[in-house]
Amino acid sequence: MFCLDTYLRESEDYEIHMTRSGFKDCARFIEENAPEVVHVKPGEKIVGARIIGIPPVPIGINEEKGTIMLPYTKPCYGTATVEVPVPPEERENIRVVGID
Amino acid sequence: MKKAIILLGCPESPSQTPLTIYSAHKLTEMGYEVTVASTPSAKKLVEVADPVEYYVQNKIDIESCLDNLEEGEFDLLLGFVAKDAAVSYFVTFYHILSTKSLALVFHRDPEKLENFENSVRENTNADIVSARAYHNPTPLRVRLDRALDKIDKEGDS
Repeated sequence: MFCLDTYLRESEDYEIHMTRSGFKDCARFIEENAPEVVHVKPGEKIVGARIIGIPPVPIGINEEKGTIMLPYTKPCYGTATVEVPVPPEERENIRVVGID
Repeated sequence: MKKAIILLGCPESPSQTPLTIYSAHKLTEMGYEVTVASTPSAKKLVEVADPVEYYVQNKIDIESCLDNLEEGEFDLLLGFVAKDAAVSYFVTFYHILSTKSLALVFHRDPEKLENFENSVRENTNADIVSARAYHNPTPLRVRLDRALDKIDKEGDS
């Protein structure tokens, strides 16, 4: 199973669009820049990690690039917006738990 | 036995560790089994402040706690909110647990304090204790006492 934390530790082909930001700024960036946006509840498991944030939490999906864009929060470092390539089934899993 | 979880934020606010020990003591007196969820650095501060685990016996890493957290696992969530990330963590724990919750919101900057307080209020039904505080834990401690008394009385009724 795809695990976001492991992926970010062990891979280099992800993009960090924003870092050490507030959650609202990261959420706005995803809303404005992702071709498709799915909203999920905070605490939902997305690519093996519990999503942290203020509801509804936006997850961006880019089918063309095969990536998702999501807010990634750590207690001391604030929220980052990361874009990672994920398998097609993980993108579909996100749509399934969407609350839109 | 009732179970309470104390959710710690980034440990750079001096008030957080003493108020963690204080809250754990108060909640234990109220009959709760207390667990403190925190980052490793916040945990170290609690460990040094309470070396024989007189006040805090159960400590858990915030990430693994979040991964395995289930609705109703705790009867009370008490969270320290002094940063934007802490708002996100508190709101997330609140929505997973769906339980009685109390946010301790504090910051030295009044604008940030209001912003954090509004975010918690708009996204949860948690009780909120808020004070402009940094080094001095007293303003928060006084308000915390009042909020815990209220929770205690609700539990009795």
